[in-house]
Amino acid sequence: MVGSPVLLIAIPLLAAFLIPLLGIFWKELVRIIPGLVLGYLTILSASLYIDVLNTGTIVETIAGWRAPWGINLVFSPLTGFLATLMTFIGFIIWLYSYRFKRNVEFEAAKKYFIFLMLLVAGSIGIVITGDIFNQFVFIEIVGISAYALTAFYTGRNSAEAAFKYLIMGSLSASALLIAIILIYSQLGTLNMAEIAANIHNMPPQYRVTAMIFFIIGIGVEAEIFPLNGWAPDAYTEAPGPVGSAFAGIVVKAGIYAMVRMMFTLFDISGPMQILIIIGMITLVVAETSALRQVQLKRMLAYSSIGQMGLVLVAFGMGTKAGVFAALFLMLNHAIIKPLLFFSGSYLVFNSKEKNISEMSGLGKLMPFTAAFFALGSFAIVGLPPFAGFWSKLSVLTAAANDGLLLIIAIVLLVSIVEIVYYFRVINRIYFFKFDKATSVVPHKPRVNALIAMAILAILILVIGFYPDSVSEILNRASEDLLNTPDYIKNVLSTGQSLTY
Amino acid sequence: MNIENIEIIRIGVYATSILLILIGLYAVLTKKSLIKIIIGLSIIDGGIHLLLIGIGYIKNGTAPIFSPGFENASAQMVDPVPQALVLTAIVIGFGVTAVALALIIRLYRHHNTLKIDEIKNLKW
Repeated sequence: MVGSPVLLIAIPLLAAFLIPLLGIFWKELVRIIPGLVLGYLTILSASLYIDVLNTGTIVETIAGWRAPWGINLVFSPLTGFLATLMTFIGFIIWLYSYRFKRNVEFEAAKKYFIFLMLLVAGSIGIVITGDIFNQFVFIEIVGISAYALTAFYTGRNSAEAAFKYLIMGSLSASALLIAIILIYSQLGTLNMAEIAANIHNMPPQYRVTAMIFFIIGIGVEAEIFPLNGWAPDAYTEAPGPVGSAFAGIVVKAGIYAMVRMMFTLFDISGPMQILIIIGMITLVVAETSALRQVQLKRMLAYSSIGQMGLVLVAFGMGTKAGVFAALFLMLNHAIIKPLLFFSGSYLVFNSKEKNISEMSGLGKLMPFTAAFFALGSFAIVGLPPFAGFWSKLSVLTAAANDGLLLIIAIVLLVSIVEIVYYFRVINRIYFFKFDKATSVVPHKPRVNALIAMAILAILILVIGFYPDSVSEILNRASEDLLNTPDYIKNVLSTGQSLTY
Repeated sequence: MNIENIEIIRIGVYATSILLILIGLYAVLTKKSLIKIIIGLSIIDGGIHLLLIGIGYIKNGTAPIFSPGFENASAQMVDPVPQALVLTAIVIGFGVTAVALALIIRLYRHHNTLKIDEIKNLKW
């Protein structure tokens, strides 16, 4: 045993507290500490995850109160997979933004790194906690740090985007709290496993009401259709690395919370029409909105929303193949979207109005960045040698197994739309002449940013050429999600709990 | 006290809290001033806290502590969990309100107005 899951939450929280204090002594520490913390968390999470795959789920009891009474952390093949993915993406984001605001504004950089730590801590907390009220608290931690990160730049319209996000976020958090109150008043417990064990004793009208409030409550973080109005503005106005943190970390936590609620808390088995319908509407609306965007980051934001819709459709099939496809999509999206945001923010950096039309010919001026953007685009639309192909293929095969032909038709149709709007950008970057009047002198990406992008690009190629390398992990994770009785047994039985 | 009175109190608490939530929602949805929207959010929070406290309500209840004279009073004790939850929820609501007010200061400096329909540089 190398450590315990609680360290995954405690260490970044402690680091967020210590960063401003240690920054007094040596300003460089503000940048170094987040990297050390996130690097350590990645190693810790990965080693715990390997441990879990070999020996079974770790259930950690906090402060000696056993499962139904106290808060417990569940580190299972599914949550361990997501926690490892999040810490890794967090580390890559740190690598990309290591020199963020260097030599310009120390105060601004300090705030950025503090909130980045809080964002990572909250997202990991959402995933590994086994208590719904605790999950609500972590969702609020993520929310508050996300509002602050959205409002990072003082000069732009970022406060407007952040205010919009805050209104939606806190209204939905109220809905989540009402759902928790409903469940507590009926079942008298907040522990997810005990709720799952007793949910069928709850009268159906309470169950449906609680579920609707839950979907509204989590939908804002998960970017489902009527609740995602904040996303395009927040992604556009926030700094580049923050957009990739939203797409790579926060949304994954939101989707996890939603899926855990549907599959475990309300113990629904078989196809879930509500997820499929919400996912379909999200997918179609987002992808068609992406088509008519003139700003690159807005386009990427809508593309991100659309991908989450596809993930929900795949989860909604409720079969093992569907869950496998959904987790594969989440993994690929967590790798590809940060790459697109990293390279895209350098493209945006070199255009005054952030418009796609100003990016003519940047491919010749910044060959690496443009190549990474093109690679990310090919991967996310699902061209064969890249990672995105396999996840999209697995969604289609899962739908074909169930005979859901409408899903196949819509997914393929939407893929064409995706190709149009991504290739429009690539066409402009590579095949249009560089226009001196619209573009400024190009800012070249720094070495650490290039390394971060290169790591993600290599991962995309590795998963693309060897999809079997991740299928075992995803298989274990999807079995874990579908096996509610084992989840209940693992959490509530005292024999397997570990107390530190 | 008979059972009917307890039920009346309970329904009164629930009705008041739902009324507060609806008043807050009305303020958030219809008011044009940013400050009033935040006040609406706080009213919603207050309603939810009341609802949460109402769940743990017991007529003539005692504090959930086993002290001399109250050794066998577990049936009379109020549920401590909603009270712990409400404390946490109050702190979270305070944090969100503080962030919101900070954002309003920023918006006011940028746009020189607090009216929400004059702040529309982004597509709402």
